[in-house]
Amino acid sequence: MKYLLQKHDLLLRIMRISMTQACFVLIAASISYGTNAPGQSLLEKQVSITVENKSLKTVLNQIEKAAKVKFMYSPKVVQAERRVSISVTRQTLGDVLQQVFDPLSLTYRVSGDHIVLSRMKTEPQSLNGTSPASVIPELPAERTVTGTVFDDRGESLPGVSVMLKGTQRGTVTDPEGNYILVLADADFNPDAVLVFSFVGYLSQEVAVGDRSTLTISMKIDNKALEEVIVVGYGTQSRKNVTGSISKIDMKQTQDMPNTNVGQSLRGRVAGVQFLDNGRPGQNGSILVRGPRSLSGGNNPLIVLDGIFFNGSLSDINPNDIESMEVLKDASSAAIYGSRAANGVILITSKKGTTDKPTIRVSAFSGLSNWSYKPKLLTPERYIEKTLDIRRQTGLPADPANIRDYLTSSELVNYDAGRTVDPYDEISQQGRISSYDLSLSGQSSRTNYFLSTSLSSEKGLIYNDNMKRLAIRANIENEVSSWLSIGMNANYIRRDLSGREASLGSAYPATPFGTWYHEDGEPTWYVIAEDQIPYNAMRDAMLTTNQEVYSNLFTNFYALVNVPFIEGLSYRLNYSPNYRWQHNYNFVRQDKHETHINNTSASKMNRQDFDWVLENILTYSKRLNENHVFDITLLYGRNHSGWESTQANSTRLSSDALGWNNLGLGELLVNSSTAAATDGISSMFRLNYRLKDKYILTLTARRDGSSVFAANNKYASFPSAAVAWIASDERFLQEATFLDMLKLRFSYGAVGNQAISPYQSLSLSSTNRFVYGDGGVSSLGVFPSNMANTDLKWETTYTANAAVDFELFKNRLGGTFEIYNMDTRDLLVRRSLPNMTGYDFVWTNLGATNNKGMELSLNSVNIQKGKFEWLTNFVFSRNKNKIVHLYRSDTNGDGVEDDDIGNRWFIGQPIGVAYDYVFDGIHQQGDEMPTGYEPGFVRLKDLDGDGKIDANDRKVIGQTGQPKYRWGLTNTFRYGDLSLSVFVNAMQGWISNLSTVDYSVSGGNYPHRPLNMLDAGWWTEENRSNTRPSMVYPNPYGHGYYYSRDFIRIQDVALAYDFPKNIASRVKLTHLRMFLSGKNLYTWTNWIGPDPESGETNRGSFFPTARSVTFGLNLGF
Amino acid sequence: MKNQATYFSPYIPLLLAGLIFFSLSSCKDAFLEEKPLASLSTDIVLTSKSGFENYLTSLHHAAREELVLEDNHDYHFTMHSGTDIATTGQEDARPFRNYITYLNPNANTVLKHWQWAYRIMLVRANTIIAYGNKPELEPIWASEEEKNAIIAEARFFRAYTHNFLANLYGGVPIVDTIYSGPKTDFVRKTRREVYESARADLEFASRWLPETVEKSKEGRIVKAAADHLLTEVYISLEEYDNAIASADKVIDSGLYELMSERFGSQKDLPGDVYSDLFKYGNQNRSSGNRESIYVWQFEDQTPGGSGTSGGNNILRGWGPWYINLRDPDGQAGMIIVDSLGRGVGLTRPTTYFLYNLWAGNWDNDMRNSPHNIRRTMYYTNPASAWFGKPVEPKTTRLDTMQNAYPTLRKIEGRVPLNGNVNGGRTFTDFMVYRLAETYLLRAEAYLRKGDLQKAAADINVVRARVNAKPVAASDVTLDYLLDERARELIVEEPRRRTLTRMGKLVERVRKYNMREDTRSTIQDYHEFFPIPQTAIDANFSSVLEQNSGY
Repeated sequence: MKYLLQKHDLLLRIMRISMTQACFVLIAASISYGTNAPGQSLLEKQVSITVENKSLKTVLNQIEKAAKVKFMYSPKVVQAERRVSISVTRQTLGDVLQQVFDPLSLTYRVSGDHIVLSRMKTEPQSLNGTSPASVIPELPAERTVTGTVFDDRGESLPGVSVMLKGTQRGTVTDPEGNYILVLADADFNPDAVLVFSFVGYLSQEVAVGDRSTLTISMKIDNKALEEVIVVGYGTQSRKNVTGSISKIDMKQTQDMPNTNVGQSLRGRVAGVQFLDNGRPGQNGSILVRGPRSLSGGNNPLIVLDGIFFNGSLSDINPNDIESMEVLKDASSAAIYGSRAANGVILITSKKGTTDKPTIRVSAFSGLSNWSYKPKLLTPERYIEKTLDIRRQTGLPADPANIRDYLTSSELVNYDAGRTVDPYDEISQQGRISSYDLSLSGQSSRTNYFLSTSLSSEKGLIYNDNMKRLAIRANIENEVSSWLSIGMNANYIRRDLSGREASLGSAYPATPFGTWYHEDGEPTWYVIAEDQIPYNAMRDAMLTTNQEVYSNLFTNFYALVNVPFIEGLSYRLNYSPNYRWQHNYNFVRQDKHETHINNTSASKMNRQDFDWVLENILTYSKRLNENHVFDITLLYGRNHSGWESTQANSTRLSSDALGWNNLGLGELLVNSSTAAATDGISSMFRLNYRLKDKYILTLTARRDGSSVFAANNKYASFPSAAVAWIASDERFLQEATFLDMLKLRFSYGAVGNQAISPYQSLSLSSTNRFVYGDGGVSSLGVFPSNMANTDLKWETTYTANAAVDFELFKNRLGGTFEIYNMDTRDLLVRRSLPNMTGYDFVWTNLGATNNKGMELSLNSVNIQKGKFEWLTNFVFSRNKNKIVHLYRSDTNGDGVEDDDIGNRWFIGQPIGVAYDYVFDGIHQQGDEMPTGYEPGFVRLKDLDGDGKIDANDRKVIGQTGQPKYRWGLTNTFRYGDLSLSVFVNAMQGWISNLSTVDYSVSGGNYPHRPLNMLDAGWWTEENRSNTRPSMVYPNPYGHGYYYSRDFIRIQDVALAYDFPKNIASRVKLTHLRMFLSGKNLYTWTNWIGPDPESGETNRGSFFPTARSVTFGLNLGF
Repeated sequence: MKNQATYFSPYIPLLLAGLIFFSLSSCKDAFLEEKPLASLSTDIVLTSKSGFENYLTSLHHAAREELVLEDNHDYHFTMHSGTDIATTGQEDARPFRNYITYLNPNANTVLKHWQWAYRIMLVRANTIIAYGNKPELEPIWASEEEKNAIIAEARFFRAYTHNFLANLYGGVPIVDTIYSGPKTDFVRKTRREVYESARADLEFASRWLPETVEKSKEGRIVKAAADHLLTEVYISLEEYDNAIASADKVIDSGLYELMSERFGSQKDLPGDVYSDLFKYGNQNRSSGNRESIYVWQFEDQTPGGSGTSGGNNILRGWGPWYINLRDPDGQAGMIIVDSLGRGVGLTRPTTYFLYNLWAGNWDNDMRNSPHNIRRTMYYTNPASAWFGKPVEPKTTRLDTMQNAYPTLRKIEGRVPLNGNVNGGRTFTDFMVYRLAETYLLRAEAYLRKGDLQKAAADINVVRARVNAKPVAASDVTLDYLLDERARELIVEEPRRRTLTRMGKLVERVRKYNMREDTRSTIQDYHEFFPIPQTAIDANFSSVLEQNSGY
């Protein structure tokens, strides 16, 4: 990314910071891992470096990268343009520095992890080339100003440039920090100002007045501000960012066994919600800030190395990722205007950073089990259920006759004392392992990062497995001084083969069922004669399944730094993305059902081909000290298309060939489909900085997308943002507790196009029918999609205000943001009255609003000797509501109509529970409606008209997203040992856990020999006031609502870095071990499988895994 | 560095970039034009006669879904359960046991039948009719007859659906057009207006539909089907002479007769002519069946042969759940066997049907013969000591509501080709209309008109075929007619619709349903289904009135 940094002004960039260093800085500000060797050991670092005839600046730069140190110096003092050659291999830093500096008459001292450069003492000199000592006595007519410059710790600073403002006259401080400046009479006036400047420190201007001694204390420039942020089509210094961007350093989660990059987001970024669905190798869902669209997608746009990434998030190897940035407000996201309405996640892969090839190995392996197992009926409770349901339906229910009430098959197991826990029966030992190897480095012209990783996960459900191979090559070559060509290529093979056991069938399995024949073959139904429930292991055991996803994602780019016009560069991106997947299945013959040919085989193949072509022109110009411009222009096109073929064959004549010869089947059915979308984008962005304190960003993007109606393909999305670095103002310089204060405000528009292609058109689907006996299959065609010739972009207008701060010598830092997002012309999959002939139509209507606040805090609580305690806290709250729907008022009450059919209510959040209100259970003697009996649910008669009807429904609570989320990370470090504990919480949401509805509509069928979630039920003896009897038919079809609030100890990691001397003894540059635990404990009242995934469908009760993992990172 | 610049001019990439910029800017609009790669549209398909045939085929698919869209208690079986002739077999609070707690605007059956009618039937029928009438498509038709025959078939289905809705829900919105945009202000028409709309469609259909179709098109709508349905609609409109005339067209056409001789696939096996009507392969006209008028088609192992729930499921719905039976020793008494199939007792004939209705004709009425009602079951489990012995009542765990009751053999079918008898589905075709019902409809028209003699004569045609004693004209009443319809048409006729059409549901449920809670909970307002709450909610620009009482 360095090509986008301005190269011409070294003073501006106080330090050269590579991406790696930026990460280190961030860590220093948030979570420390103790890899920085303090003090003297810094000089013992092993360094290899080879340069020939390069500027000193470049050499220092490379040493910075190789040794992870920072140099502080005045370029003029050290004459940084001087040419140097050096070639060393694995020498200590101290030796290297000596070799470089001695010939140049430079010296240095170590301050923390900084190395401060100065001229050797013997040669103090003024910039005019004459020694001040010799000048003073000879020119008495002139006046001298003397003094000492200290750093903020009170140590003297050598090499500081001291200049008389507005002139070329000046000097530098000597190794003791002293200076003598001789001023001519002409220069001396009451307004004379001295400018003190030094790399790594804030410049200071001091009026001389009539003083002859000026002692100055320099302040270190805030390092957090220098963090480099990927902003989309370029990078920026954190200091200059105007929008709302959260950066996620992957090092934060390096000690956690994450196989999906989304897991690194989980709970850690204010305003970002990642919900893990608990399954290996599959995507969770991500929500940035809040849902805006009623039914257009709410998934954020993923941009990998600058290119739209349409694949699965689980295709990205977390170990390849340097950082992720989440663009949350309109200003930062507007640059991706067309697709950015739901936020953008920028993912940047790693690059080479050292001259010496660096090989890194990281590996982890762990075991997992169920963090929570939903409670099904135990054998004892199952017997109780069997008796109670009979009692409540008026059938004989004598416990002594229980043998008559069980089915014949159950009886066999009941008599033999055999019982089955269905969830145990379909479980397997969860395992996770990952091995990652990377090679990276840079030579004078080439930067490379090559990696390969193998990860393997066994989920908790039998056959729910994932294996992934990821290979990456990032190569950039500097062809000439003005041309670089590079490639980021990524190949992933994700193998989800294996038919997993059926959770949906396990749920209702009686504890007395028979799962296996004596030869170990699965039965068909666990109660054979009743043919329920389907054996949850049957398909898993009879089916051979191959499900493999491949993804080749490549970006080829050329970067031209246009000669003769400094600051102008052009970048060409071409990114083809091939994805191919197949899903083959073969069901073998059931050996116990030979009279039935149950064999079947199928093949599904799908190919996706997407491409992005982009032309990006950037121009950076510093007009003078006060004005800096950055201009970015983009013109690009993108395409995404896919096609698939499905072939099914049933009743194969032989099961010898699996799916390889579908022709063996008796009934062959095949189908295919295809779709494509296209887009055109052009974009303009201007960054303007005034005095490096006032920053303005203007962005405009115009997008065209094929998915909209013919006349509405294009839309424009402008935005503006301003930032003010208040702490750089003179009047705040005195506030010493304030290290940095920055205010930001932005407003702008971004678009949403997240609908399938062809939705603006009228479409037809097909089916088949057979006329006559023995007739052929005829094709039926029918209208399936209502056209909408007005379908257009959905637009979100976001206002964002934020303050960034660093206080108390960077002991406390953070960001506080508030935002207001108005979304208009919502893309809505609007339900229609069935009388129209359709279920829904895609349309634009209404408006939604999201208001929220986000707070991120980093603090260094204790820093004493080797001990350090750091805290990171993120909190976010989003309030979502529907502002308008159809702007209709059919009943004339002056209030806009709600859309009850879609459960959309003006003024309420998008996802709400709208239902009858539970009011306890009818008990014996209560007055109750006709047909009711004790044990039935009492609903509230809201309108008081004496009966329960549709008017007695109301909005009960918020579903879909919590009212607020928070995450707290505490990191404790003692020397090389660190412990971090991350707690994640979401609160203020409910969900209808329909599974606990024991009526037929809940699908539990309690009168049949089926198991169910043990949520309790009303009986004559146990007159519950919260749970109905088992015969309650739920005539109004109301839901059962539970809070999904939870607090979870999500990640705990204990890591140990072996001391350098031990590591180097085994020829390693670093060696790190970690032990981590995931989802260790959860506080919640939710009785479904997991409050975070909130799954209520029994077929998706995938358990959230609690895992313990051991890992190793090493480099050499 | 310099030497590289000499052989690699910096202007070349700039030039290239400029070219790319330029080339991309042109042909902009074509790039974003959308043309579905794998989806058809009505405008594309309905430009030829074969396209219209495709749309008609999807309409036939939809029509069969009335039986097989959902395979549970809550769908088609609710046309029988909770009436005078059937109840749910299962012993818990199931559909139409307790009318008050079951039948409400949220009930699945209420919604699903509504959706079936509007969302798949009427929209498909109306699309064909609207496009068929387009002047610009005139050139595709060989003749006016050809065009009108297509439109007539669609109008038959539109009438069928409107009649279905009016029978069940009362007055409903009439939908006789296609909508190109959202509409949320539907209003209910009167029940009479809905019937009138059906009459207009059927009169057109009767005029233009073919009299017969070739074997490869069996299942398609013929003229007699329109006339048959028109008879019912005229009765609903109280136009009895028209009803009689319409039925005459069918009866006197010379194409149809009540079968009186053994025929078809099992004519040499034990049985009788009534049982032959329901044997596998015996429903379509080409099998020799000259009684059937409209038949839902099923076909084993052929794509499109089975519909959403995988085949004809009346065996599953009506058959007893005998597999649960234990022998007197308390051991499993039954295994699934091919002849019995696998019933689950979703809907079970009432005592009134199984016993009372046959009084006086118990032995002579063919419809009560062992070939048509299986009144004795035998233990089928070879492992049981009672194997092959008859199942006697009052053994342990003999639940006569669900597990053991006389079985209507018209539900049985051949073992599916895949050998799986566990599915409970068959691939026997299902007769929607047959001539026996036409006679009974004409009898109803005569009866309502007051001509009891002719009413009795028609009823006796039906009874004579099955060797039942003739009815005296003086005994012919609506209730008698309903009894006769039950004897002749049980399972085939949607009983609930017949009862609500005649306004006899509540009365006869109170009289004849065998469950006390059903009899006591049915209220007068239950005569009609409620309007689904979701339809009322979605139709927010206008109030879709709920039926009173709900």
